[in-house]
Amino acid sequence: MLTPAIPQAQSSSTSLESDERAWIALDDPAEWSSFSQPLENEQQDWESRLAIEGMHCAACAFNVEKALKAVQGVSSAEVNATSGRARIVWSAAITKPSDWLSAVSKAGYRALPAADAFAQDSRRKNQRLMLWRWLVAGFCMMQVMMYAYPAYVANAGEMTPDMLNLLRWASWVLTLPVLLFSSGPFFSNAFNDLKMRQISMDMPVALGILITFIVSTAATFEPNGWWGAEVYFDSLTMFVFFLLTGRWIELRMRDRTAGALDALMLRLPASVERQKADGGFERVAVRQLALGDIVRVLPGETFPADGTIQLGNTSADEALLTGESRAVPKALGAEVIAGSYNLSAAVQVRIDKIGQTTRYAQIVALMERVSAEKPRLALLADRIARPFLITVLFAAAASAAFLWQEDHGRALMAAVAVLIVTCPCALSLATPAAMLTVSGALAKSGVLVRKMQALEALTTIDTVVFDKTGTLTHDRMEIGKISTAAHLSQSTVLAVASQMAQHSLHPVSRALVRANQSSLADDAQFAVSNVQEISGFGLIADASLGKLKLGSAKFCEIANEVLQNAQQARESEQGSLVYLVADKVWLASFEVIEAVKEDAASAVSALQRSGLAVEVLSGDKLQSVTRIANKVGISQVSGGCTPQEKLQRLQFLQQQGHQVAMVGDGLNDGPVLAAAHVSIAMGQAVPLAQSQSDFVIMSGELNRVPHLILQAKRTMRIVKQNLIWAAVYNATCVPLAVAGMLPAWLAGLGMALSSLLVVLNAARLANATKLITPTL
Amino acid sequence: MDILFLLIPLSVVLVFAVLGGLWWAIYTGQFEEVEAEGERILHED
Repeated sequence: MLTPAIPQAQSSSTSLESDERAWIALDDPAEWSSFSQPLENEQQDWESRLAIEGMHCAACAFNVEKALKAVQGVSSAEVNATSGRARIVWSAAITKPSDWLSAVSKAGYRALPAADAFAQDSRRKNQRLMLWRWLVAGFCMMQVMMYAYPAYVANAGEMTPDMLNLLRWASWVLTLPVLLFSSGPFFSNAFNDLKMRQISMDMPVALGILITFIVSTAATFEPNGWWGAEVYFDSLTMFVFFLLTGRWIELRMRDRTAGALDALMLRLPASVERQKADGGFERVAVRQLALGDIVRVLPGETFPADGTIQLGNTSADEALLTGESRAVPKALGAEVIAGSYNLSAAVQVRIDKIGQTTRYAQIVALMERVSAEKPRLALLADRIARPFLITVLFAAAASAAFLWQEDHGRALMAAVAVLIVTCPCALSLATPAAMLTVSGALAKSGVLVRKMQALEALTTIDTVVFDKTGTLTHDRMEIGKISTAAHLSQSTVLAVASQMAQHSLHPVSRALVRANQSSLADDAQFAVSNVQEISGFGLIADASLGKLKLGSAKFCEIANEVLQNAQQARESEQGSLVYLVADKVWLASFEVIEAVKEDAASAVSALQRSGLAVEVLSGDKLQSVTRIANKVGISQVSGGCTPQEKLQRLQFLQQQGHQVAMVGDGLNDGPVLAAAHVSIAMGQAVPLAQSQSDFVIMSGELNRVPHLILQAKRTMRIVKQNLIWAAVYNATCVPLAVAGMLPAWLAGLGMALSSLLVVLNAARLANATKLITPTL
Repeated sequence: MDILFLLIPLSVVLVFAVLGGLWWAIYTGQFEEVEAEGERILHED
C-alpha cells in the first residue's frame, strides 16, 4: 500500500512564500472588519488585533513590536507576550495588512488576524473601570476615616466648632466622588429597575446610600437643623467600599469560570489555507470555507471545521472536545473535528461540516444555553427575592418610624442599616454560582452538563442502569480465543494475520492488528506481499507459507469437519469466527468478540460500593450480555429486550420507588434515556443537538459516571450550605438592624462578606476536573 | 493649631493627587502584565 507523501510546508522559505500569497487576500477592505476596526481620525487609521505565533519570551514580544513599528504607516504596535496578542494601529492610505504581516514573518514569527479580540477587550475595559471605582472608594474611605477620628476621641468641648466644621466639610468633599462615581452602578441599576417596575438588590443599597448622604449633608451645612447633628460620611464610604470589594471579587471569580468555557469557545482559528483550483494554497477567513473545500492544516494549528483527512498522517489533541487526553492518531480517511489541535504533521483536510453543524459549534451552543439556564432552586430563590425585598423596604420604614421621635438622624440611619444589611443576593447566588462552577469544571474534563437541574436529581438516585453496546463495551472488536493448526503457535498466526490486516480498515482487521503483541511480524519468514482486500469477504496475500486467505469460512473454503471443531472450541456462542488458510489448508481461527471497556469493572464496583444498585439492560442476546455483565461484576441482567421492553423494565423499577439513572450511548435508547430520572449519554457517537440526555460523557469513560455522581453530591452539599448560610445571615442581621443595633458600616461589611462567602464556597467546586479515584 | 486650617484642605488635595496617580496606573495597564514589567530590564533598549 502506498504511503501518501506528507505535504511539505514546514520548510520556512516555501511557507513564507505561501503565507505571503495568502495575505494578499487580507488586503481586501471587506475582510478588515473581521479583525480590525476603523479609528475616527483623518489619517484613515485602522486598529487591528493579531495573534502572534512562535513567541516564547518577553524579548520575542519586543522583537515583534520592533518589526511592526519599522513598517511605514504603522503608527503604534503593542505586543503582549503572555497572551500572544498584538494590537496595531495602521493607516490604510500608506500600508496594507500584507505589508505588516510579512514584516512579522521576516522577523521570524507568524502573525494571524485575531477575530475574537474585541470581545476580550470589552471585558478588560469593564475590569479596569471596576478596579478604578473600587480604588476611589478605598482611598476616599481611608481619608474620611482620618477626618472622622478626632470627633470620636475628643471630649465634648475640646474641639472648636470651626475645626469640627472644617473636618466635616473635608469629609463631604471626599464623599462626593464615592457617591457620584464609585456608587454609579448601584444607582444606575436601581434606576433601571424603577423604570422596568421591578425590584432588585441594588434598590435598597442605592436608597441606603442616598439617605445616608442626605442626612450627613444636612448635618454638615445645618448642624442645628431638623436632621440632627450627626454625620455618617465614614459609614457611607466604608460600606460602598465593602460592597464594591465584594462585587469586584465576584466579577473576578465569574470571569475565571467564564474563562474555562471561553477556552473552549475561542478555539477556532481566524484563517486557514485553502487549496485553489490550480492546486496552490491561499489563506482565507474561516467563515469563507464551503463544504468540499480542501484546506491545509499545519502542526500546531486547530482544525477549522469537521472534515476528513485527504492527504497525510498526523495525530490530534481532542482533549477539550472529547475528554480524550491522549493524542489521537489520524491516518488517511480519518475524521477530524473542528477545534481540535493538529499535533504532528501538516495534513490536507476535506471540509465535511461547517459553521453551526460542526460538533464544536454544537458543544459551544449547548454550553451557552446551559450557562443561561436557571436551576429550580435558583428560580425559587428569585421568586422569594421580590417579596423579601419589599418586606425589607417596609421593615426599614418601620424601624425609622419607631425611632423617629427620639432622633430623626438616628432613625434614618437605622433604616439605612436595614436596607444595606439584607442580602438577597446571597440567596439568589447560592445555587447558580455552585452549579455554573461545577459545569465549567466538568466541561473541561469532557463531561457536558446539559440540564443543571439534573445535578440535583443525580444526588437522589439509587439505581444505575447501563446499556451494553457502546456503553459497557467499546464499539470496536477484540480478538478472543485463537485456535491454530498443530505446527503453529498462536503468536505466529497472529503475526501473519496482523501483517495482512494492516492493509484494511475493517473492524476485524483493526482488532487483529491491535491484538498482535509480538515482533514476529518483522521476521522475513512471515513477511506478506501483494495484500488485496476483497471487499465484504476478506484479504488475500502471498507469503512463504503459501497463498494466504483471511476471512469468513466461506471465503476461505474451510472444510466442514474443521469448521465444526473450530465452532466447538469457541468460548461462547456470541463471537464470530475469522479464519486464516494457506493454500486452502486451515492454519488458524480467531474468535472476534466485543471489547469490554477497561474501566467498566472499576466504575461498576465504585458505584456498588457507594450503595447503588447496578443493572444491565440490553437489546443484545442474553448470553452475550451475561458474559459482559459477569466480566464487569453486574449480577442483575436483562437481555434481548426490545426498546419497548427496556422502557417497561425502567418503568417497573420506577414504580417500585427507585430513582433510576440510565447510562446509554444516546443513539438507540432515546426513549429509555428520556424516561429515566437522570440520563447519561456516552461517547462521541452522540449527535449532541438531538441527544436528550442530561449529561454527555464525551470520552465514553465509565469512570466518569461515579465521578459525576460524586461531583453532583458535592455541588448539592455546597448549594445547601450556601442557602442555609444566606437564610441564617438574613434571619440574624435583619432583626438587629431593625432594632437599630447595627451601625451602617457594619451592615455594609456584613452584606459584602455574605455574598462573597457564597461565591467562594462555590469556587471550591472548580477542581472537579480531577478524576478522583471513585470512592463515593 | 491654626495650621490645620491649611493642612486639612491640603490633605484633600493630596487624596485627589494620589487618585490621579492611580488612574494613570490603571489606564496604562500597570496592573495587567505584572510579569512583563520585570522582564523589561532584560531588553536592549
